[in-house]
Amino acid sequence: MTSMQRWGLALLVPYVLLFLVFVLYPVLYGFWLARSPAAYAKLFEDPVFFRTVVNTLVFVVVAVNVKFVIALYLSGFFVNTRPWIRWLSVLFILPWAVPSIPTIFSVRFMLNPEWGMVNSIIFRLTGADGPNWLTDPTLALSMSMLVHVWKSLPFWTLILIAGRLAIPKEQYEAASVDGATGWQQFRYVTWPSMRTLYLTSTILSMIWTLGDFNSVYLLTGGGPADLTHVLATLGIRYIRLDQLEQAMATIVVSMPLVLPLVWFMVRRLSRDGTQ
Amino acid sequence: MASVHFRDVRKSFGATEILHGVSLDIADGEFVVLVGPSGCGKSTLLRMLAGLEEVTRGEIAIDDRVVNEVDSKDRDIAMVFQSYALYPHMTVRENMGFSLRLRKAERAIVDERVGRAAQILNLQAYLERYPRELSGGQRQRVAMGRAIVRDPKVFLFDEPLSNLDAKLRVAMRAEIKALHQRLKTTTVYVTHDQVEAMTMADRIAVMNEGRIEQLGEPLALYDRPANLFVAEFIGSPAMNLLDARLRRSDGAAWVELAGARWALAAGAPGADGQQVKVGVRPEHLRLGAEGLAGEVVVVEPTGAGTELVVQCDGASLTVVVHGRSGARPGDRVLLAPGPDHVHLFDASSGARL
Amino acid sequence: MSWKKAGTEARLLLVGIPVALWSAFPIYHIFLFAISSKDSAFSGALWPAQPTLRNFGAVFKQEHFFLYHFWQQMWNSLWIAATVGFLTLLIATCAAFAISRLRVRGGRLVMNAALFTYFIPAAFLAVPMYKAMSVYGLLNSSWSLVLAMVTLASPYAIWVLKQASDKLPWELDEAARIDGATPMQLFRLVYLPLMLPSLVAIGTYALLLAWNEYLYAFLLLSKETNVTLAVALGHFLSADDSPWELLMATGLLYGLPPAAIYYVFRRYMVGGLTAGAVKA
Ligand SMILES: Nc1ncnc2c1ncn2[C@@H]1O[C@H](COP(=O)(O)OP(=O)(O)OP(=O)(O)O)[C@@H](O)[C@H]1O
Ligand SMILES: [Mg+2]
Repeated sequence: MTSMQRWGLALLVPYVLLFLVFVLYPVLYGFWLARSPAAYAKLFEDPVFFRTVVNTLVFVVVAVNVKFVIALYLSGFFVNTRPWIRWLSVLFILPWAVPSIPTIFSVRFMLNPEWGMVNSIIFRLTGADGPNWLTDPTLALSMSMLVHVWKSLPFWTLILIAGRLAIPKEQYEAASVDGATGWQQFRYVTWPSMRTLYLTSTILSMIWTLGDFNSVYLLTGGGPADLTHVLATLGIRYIRLDQLEQAMATIVVSMPLVLPLVWFMVRRLSRDGTQ
Repeated sequence: MASVHFRDVRKSFGATEILHGVSLDIADGEFVVLVGPSGCGKSTLLRMLAGLEEVTRGEIAIDDRVVNEVDSKDRDIAMVFQSYALYPHMTVRENMGFSLRLRKAERAIVDERVGRAAQILNLQAYLERYPRELSGGQRQRVAMGRAIVRDPKVFLFDEPLSNLDAKLRVAMRAEIKALHQRLKTTTVYVTHDQVEAMTMADRIAVMNEGRIEQLGEPLALYDRPANLFVAEFIGSPAMNLLDARLRRSDGAAWVELAGARWALAAGAPGADGQQVKVGVRPEHLRLGAEGLAGEVVVVEPTGAGTELVVQCDGASLTVVVHGRSGARPGDRVLLAPGPDHVHLFDASSGARL
Repeated sequence: MSWKKAGTEARLLLVGIPVALWSAFPIYHIFLFAISSKDSAFSGALWPAQPTLRNFGAVFKQEHFFLYHFWQQMWNSLWIAATVGFLTLLIATCAAFAISRLRVRGGRLVMNAALFTYFIPAAFLAVPMYKAMSVYGLLNSSWSLVLAMVTLASPYAIWVLKQASDKLPWELDEAARIDGATPMQLFRLVYLPLMLPSLVAIGTYALLLAWNEYLYAFLLLSKETNVTLAVALGHFLSADDSPWELLMATGLLYGLPPAAIYYVFRRYMVGGLTAGAVKA
């Protein structure tokens, strides 16, 4: 073995240890804990579980798509070069830059039915009482999605802006010479170049959305009556109830949803790495 | 000061062997140029000598010491890369002194050696600059300075001039040559440019597809190429090559081609009736009263001479004439070489007769 | 300015103004609470009748039950984040160097394992990690959070650093080897200085990840004196009559430093992410 290889192995040791001790062993041990069929039977009997799966699917599908349609639109807005738009973009990144806790609490207070900012504005404008934002399960879950979109929109918009800026100007010039309207330019120039980026980003965002614990837990706490849980918070709920086996079973059950997406991303990135 | 020896060196990447047994002995103080077309394995051979690639089979020795298993840093060699590979975060002074610093040399010694190298290369004014603040030629010189400071046993160069413009290349060529004459350090120099090889080398090794085709002094290669490959590769413009039949009778020898005949020197080798390839360098073809008939298609004055392209019965020949030429496109001419300047190669093996 | 131009400008403003309100309002709302007295906080006004800095004073002097350990918790957040930043940098730099520059055998496998960890959502990994930490007897020790966060931050760090170091010219390493550098000297004298910008970005990334983390912190730590500020903020929710204006003042103090750092480094952050995470 050359000294390069020896040193290389030595330098890999810290990470490999970290991986074995804090990823591989916990995961294997966790799967082992969740081996008994009884745990799954119990899980499937828990009415919260079924509701959670539905919530999760709705959350991922709706939040991700809403977010990306808006991000795609806003990326077109932010590529306009104006001084005030540059300043606005600084403001626009704020939700992404500020930690979740204070901002989500802030939204939570805003939505308080009695003294929250939102309902007091509604009252001032219409004279009617606003809805109970967080005690109606559908509204509460929608608000969680809204918080999620609010928090992650800036990041994805930035990614799509980068994608748009990578399209050569000549293509647009050629299109306008050919008489393309704004929509046609988007349809025939922008979209074909952005499609792959859009797809990859959507997949990655789906993974991250599946794992979004904060937007739900910090806003609704899974309530009212455990009706707004998603898979990411359900596992933690079981931990809090000291039902570790159930918690692990929840994770195992989530894997068919998560793993294909993860596999897609790992393949995509490790292929890039070898080019 | 050292000699270098390659003994039946082979190299494979995975299953493909790309060097098929190279043997080469380089004497102490010699300047050897490895030249050959792209992909023939020159860089690989050099990098094996540098210790950057493992030797698959065979032996490489510096002086009497086999270095196959020796780390680069213990081989006492210095290398100049095509991309210069200067450390971007170090000044010229730090770049040149880096190897000594790694060897824990004393400050004063480092300063003195860097100073001397800078003086040799005219770099004194740039010592505190970073590589990005230098021109291509200056970077090239710093890369050489880094090698000189080491005072190594062997200098290795891998196409060091190919990133420079034509004029600078000629100047640096002379500088490297002068440097070698001054330092007398054994040098192995890789290039694919045969002009560089001809002008700089003590000896040239012409490589092709993982083999050395011929090893010799520049003019020996030019005058007596060992085979068709070397004949075509060395010399610019390239040698003209034609199919012909060798004839001899009554002590005279000639070749027959397209209805014409060219006389050969008395001692010419080969058997009567043998199929051969005839090679004539462009500067050895004359326009005369007899010989191979053809039509001038291109006339290119180069100032010092004139290059003509003559179309003869399917083959196109290049002719270099000293000074100006009265020939015009469309002229019909007859071409013949001086009998001492005809090269004969076996038609099937390509080896010199 | 022609009518057409004015029309374009108006249409842009029609998008820009809602975007500005949408982005800033929840954060303005924090600020509003933080400078309101207890009574005016709940009035629903857009600006307090008497803006005050008293809330911040109360936080600094730890004048409320929820704030008795504010400085201790601030310090916990700080040293944990800094340690995570440092350890991640150390581990990831070594790994990236070994994989990318020393081309160690098995490097690709390790890279893929790391990527895999990166993409598994942290909230799912939290359950087995929590169990493992209790097996290791690390629960309630700050080190459990440090190690967990290093585990979460390293994969992306390795990936980005590997991408960046793949771009360094290979000849530099060869030149250094010929100049006599051992692999460690190459690492210290050539690699680290050239990687400095990426190292700064990645260190910041790991530091902020740890500072912002709520889920792992609240799972792994529980003692009032060793929780981080994020968890302490969460505790405010445990009572119905919590002092929201103090929570928001604390939240502002907690949220502003990372936001400021994001702004300073946002070019690196976005650049690194676009290069790494979502290549088209
Ligand atoms: N690391 C490697 N793995 C696989 N094949 C390689 C590797 N390095 C070189 N080769 C192959 O070996 C052959 C010789 O390469 P080498 O770099 O020595 O050529 P060269 O003569 O220096 O050419 P050039 O003039 O273009 O630099 C080429 O066909 C090349 O593709
Ligand atoms: Mg080469």
